Amino acid sequence: MIEILKVIFSNFKFLALSVIIFSSMMIVLLIISEFIFLEPYFVTHIPSGSELGFILITILSGLSALVIPMNLFRIIHLKNSKQKMGGSIFGAIVGSAAGACSCGPIGFAVISTFGSVGATATAFLTNYEIPIRIIAILILMITYFTTIKSLKTECKIQF
Amino acid sequence: MNKKSGILGVVVISIIVVIVASMSSSTDETFDVEMTRTHGSISTGMGSPLLGDPLAPVTIVEFGDYQCHQCYNWFHDTKPMIMRDYIETGKVNLVFVDFAFLGRDSPKAAQATYCADDQSMYWEYHNSLYTSQESKIDNGWASSERLKAFAFNLNLDMDSFNECLDSEKYSKRVQYNSQQARDNGVRGTPGFFIVGSDYEQQQIGGAQPFSVFKRILDSMI
Repeated sequence: MIEILKVIFSNFKFLALSVIIFSSMMIVLLIISEFIFLEPYFVTHIPSGSELGFILITILSGLSALVIPMNLFRIIHLKNSKQKMGGSIFGAIVGSAAGACSCGPIGFAVISTFGSVGATATAFLTNYEIPIRIIAILILMITYFTTIKSLKTECKIQF
Repeated sequence: MNKKSGILGVVVISIIVVIVASMSSSTDETFDVEMTRTHGSISTGMGSPLLGDPLAPVTIVEFGDYQCHQCYNWFHDTKPMIMRDYIETGKVNLVFVDFAFLGRDSPKAAQATYCADDQSMYWEYHNSLYTSQESKIDNGWASSERLKAFAFNLNLDMDSFNECLDSEKYSKRVQYNSQQARDNGVRGTPGFFIVGSDYEQQQIGGAQPFSVFKRILDSMI
C-alpha cells in the first residue's frame, strides 16, 4: 500500500495537486463552518462542542487529497475508467455540503432563493451534518481501498 | 330661523364629533419613544428591551434566530464574557433584533419573547430559549406547546401568554425586525453591529470569539 502511495506522490504534479486539494478544501470548509473568520480580523476559533466537526473536516480534506490524485493517476497512467473518480468526487461534495447550509450566508442565500424548499434542504443538511460527513468519509475510504486494490492489480506491484 | 338653527346644530354636533374622535385617536396611538429607537442605521425600536445601562456609550445590536446553532454557540461562549466585562460594568448595552429565517418555528419563537416582554420577562425568556435550544431545526423543540411550557417554567401568567402567542400578536413586529436585518445587509445569524456614540458602526458576521468583540469595543469606548 505504501509502495503505491510512494509511486504516485513521488511525482511532483500529484503531490502538488494533493496539497492544493487539502489546503483549499480545509480552508473553505473551516470558513463555511465558522472555524475561521476573515472579517473584520483574521481569527481562528473552535467553539466548545464543535471539536468533532473540526476533526471530521480534517479527515474529509485529508482523504479527498489522497483519493482524488490516486484516481487521476489511475486514469492518466493506466488509461483506466473514470468510475472510481466519481466516488471520490461524490464523497468530497457530500461532505462539503453538510454543514455549509447552516445559519450562515450560504444557508441564508439558499433559503432566500428557494424559499420553503431551500429551508427544508438547509434544515436537513444542518440537522444531519455529522452523519452526512461520516457517510462522506466512508465513501472516500471505500474508494481509497478499491483504488489501492485496483492499482495493485493493474500495476502488478509485488509486495 | 328653524332652518338656520338646524344647520347650526349640525355644525356644532359635527365639531364635537371631530374633537371627540381626535381625542380618542390620540389616546389609542400613544406616542412611544421606544418605537422610534435607532442605533446607527438600524431601527431597533421593535427589537428587544435594552440589556444594560441605557446611557452606555456603545451598543451591540445582535441579529439572531432562536433555532440557529451558531447563535447558541455565541450565547454560551462569547456573550458571558461580554456581559461580565462590558455590559455589567455599564460600558456597553445590547439589543437583540430577530432575524427569524431558518425554519417554520423560528418566527413563533421570536413572537413568544415579546409575549414574555408583555410581562416584563423578555430577557429571562430569551435566555431560556437559548439554554433549551436543541441541535435540530424544526424538530419540535420550539413548537407552540414547548414555547408555552417555557413560559410556564418562568411562572408567567399563562392565560395572557397563550392568548398573545395564539393570536400572533407580534407577527408583524418579528417580520419588521427580519426586514431590518435584510435592509442592513445581514446575511446570516448571528450578525452584529457595534454602534458607538459618534454613530461609528462596525459589522461582525458570525459567532466570532470574544477577542474580536474586545478589540472593537475597546477601540470605541
